[in-house]
Amino acid sequence: MKRLLILSAVLAFAVGCSKSPKPSHNEEGAGKKLTIALMPKSKGNGYFISCKQGADEAARELGVDLLFDGPTDPDPARQNEIIENWSTLGVDVIAVACENKEGISTALRKARQKGIKVVTYDSDSTTDVRDFFVNQATPQGIGNTLMDEAARLTGEEGEFAIITASLTAANMNEWRKNIEARLAEKYPRMKLVATKPCDDLKDKAQSETTSLLSAYPNLKLVMAICTPAVPGAAEAVKQAGKSGAVKVIGLGLPSENRKYVKEDVTQSVILWKTIDLGYLTIHAANALGSGTLKPGAATYKAGRLGDVEIAGDNILLGKPFIFNKENIDQFDF
Amino acid sequence: MDATIRVRNWKGLRHELLLLAVLAGEILYFNAVGSRFGTLDNLFDILRHSTEIGLLAVVMTPIILTGGIDLSVGSLLGLCAILFGKMWRDGGLPPLTAAVCTLLFGAMAGALNGGLITVLRLPPLIVTLGTYSLFRGLAEAITHGADTFTNFPASFLCLGQENRFGIPVQAFALILVAAGVWLMVHRTTFGRSFRAIGFAPEGARYAGLPVDRRVAFSYILAGFVSALAAVIYTARLGQAKADAGTGYELYAITAVVLGGTSIFGGSGSVHGTLLGVAAIAVLSNGLVHAHQPREVAGMLTGVLLLLALCGGVIPKLVAFLRARSRHPN
Repeated sequence: MKRLLILSAVLAFAVGCSKSPKPSHNEEGAGKKLTIALMPKSKGNGYFISCKQGADEAARELGVDLLFDGPTDPDPARQNEIIENWSTLGVDVIAVACENKEGISTALRKARQKGIKVVTYDSDSTTDVRDFFVNQATPQGIGNTLMDEAARLTGEEGEFAIITASLTAANMNEWRKNIEARLAEKYPRMKLVATKPCDDLKDKAQSETTSLLSAYPNLKLVMAICTPAVPGAAEAVKQAGKSGAVKVIGLGLPSENRKYVKEDVTQSVILWKTIDLGYLTIHAANALGSGTLKPGAATYKAGRLGDVEIAGDNILLGKPFIFNKENIDQFDF
Repeated sequence: MDATIRVRNWKGLRHELLLLAVLAGEILYFNAVGSRFGTLDNLFDILRHSTEIGLLAVVMTPIILTGGIDLSVGSLLGLCAILFGKMWRDGGLPPLTAAVCTLLFGAMAGALNGGLITVLRLPPLIVTLGTYSLFRGLAEAITHGADTFTNFPASFLCLGQENRFGIPVQAFALILVAAGVWLMVHRTTFGRSFRAIGFAPEGARYAGLPVDRRVAFSYILAGFVSALAAVIYTARLGQAKADAGTGYELYAITAVVLGGTSIFGGSGSVHGTLLGVAAIAVLSNGLVHAHQPREVAGMLTGVLLLLALCGGVIPKLVAFLRARSRHPN
């Protein structure tokens, strides 16, 4: 009995391994349905769930097979493992939002060696292991939109302050540089009085805002440029009883700020439409996989989004979107 | 007495056979539904992805055999990965020297666990729960949770990413460690003492076994091999970050228990553990090939584990009922 079982297990392995790999997907003619594998940073995150809504829409439109999978636990090796599995599985295109830039690049490099096309979205890998990065917002786009919105709300006049995550975070410093450039260029009657770090913590953003409110009685607006800081700043303004008198804007998720937007504490939340990000990613992946999108292209027509701009190897989603009292209920991420 | 021994042996054998059948079933099923599941490439994927957990599970087996547990192996993997990266990048050591130092550090960390458990007579669960937090905390403190070590030389990365003699390089480490621990546990008196200690610690002490030394040894071995897993993990991913190996202790324990080792100590086997690792690894890999989402893997692993535990109870129940019907009182 025991021998028989061992024998059958060994046989099962042998039968399995003797199977020769099928010819690669690229050799099978253009008429074949593409398989696109889409990976979020983590699976339960509302941000990526809404990306997937857009991805599903695009997959239906284009008639491609869409695989969606990603880590459900905090193990940083998991993204790599799923990508390696997909490589072996022989998907045509992999689209991934990278949690660990360097770590995932090893797996992506191997996938490309097997002839699989790679696009990244939301957060990039190292640039040598992917064909395109679907960039949801350029630093300039973010900086300009934030500053323009601040100017609109304050009538282009008065003092404002910035809450950032840390004074060393590379992406936020890039945004601040663009905010300050826009300020210097277009709004001479506005003044940036302080920039405070909140360590990416809501509580600290709240206490920093409280002290800003007492230190600068003429403050007209607080601009929070890291996600947890937007509700943090709003809570401080609300508790100080200055709702409406001191405006709050920032980069954040509609869901976390809905309450304050409806109470008129926060005027505008700025982000991109995550559904469009997923939609554009699948469109780009499909075009790349079928050969209609090649490195060096300057624009690309992506379904309902129309012509999107390509800067180098970055496919640009376009201007950030402003969520306010009128439209925030339409978005649930 | 004779009957209980027979039941025990039968149970042990039956369990591993059952697991082997489950594994064969998994392989046949996934091979039928996934067109590339049965390729050699995929077998290597499975090997590469399960090496670290396999290593941890193999050295967890002697610990659980003695009736102990080590919750700190995943955190120690993270800390060792960070130390390795730090020594290589900031200390300027060549990868090989850094790896040797990391292994020594791992053994020392294991000795800390073993020392606290045997000298201070603290329960293993509590001691290793403490070091579980301590090691992870240290890794996070060293990197401030943000620093990542990367850009390792290709000569080092081949340890985790390339094949030698036709199989993944890290598989050699797993084979060596598994063979070594198997021989120790099943073919030496030294190793048999682990089961004796787990079965009856006081009895083992009265029989003249150096119980504390053996127990401490099992934790030192676990520390050493956790460090080895850390080095392999770093080579496989090409990066060392403070969150490396998060949750691996539970995967390792799951594999050991699924492999038929009693969580109370005293009975179990290294080959059972390896079968447990394989059953989980094949399941998690095969589901991708069957186009099933990841969360199904966790669910099915849980079901498998619970079934395995229930399966262990059935022969006892049968023996009990038989004995009762034979001697009704």
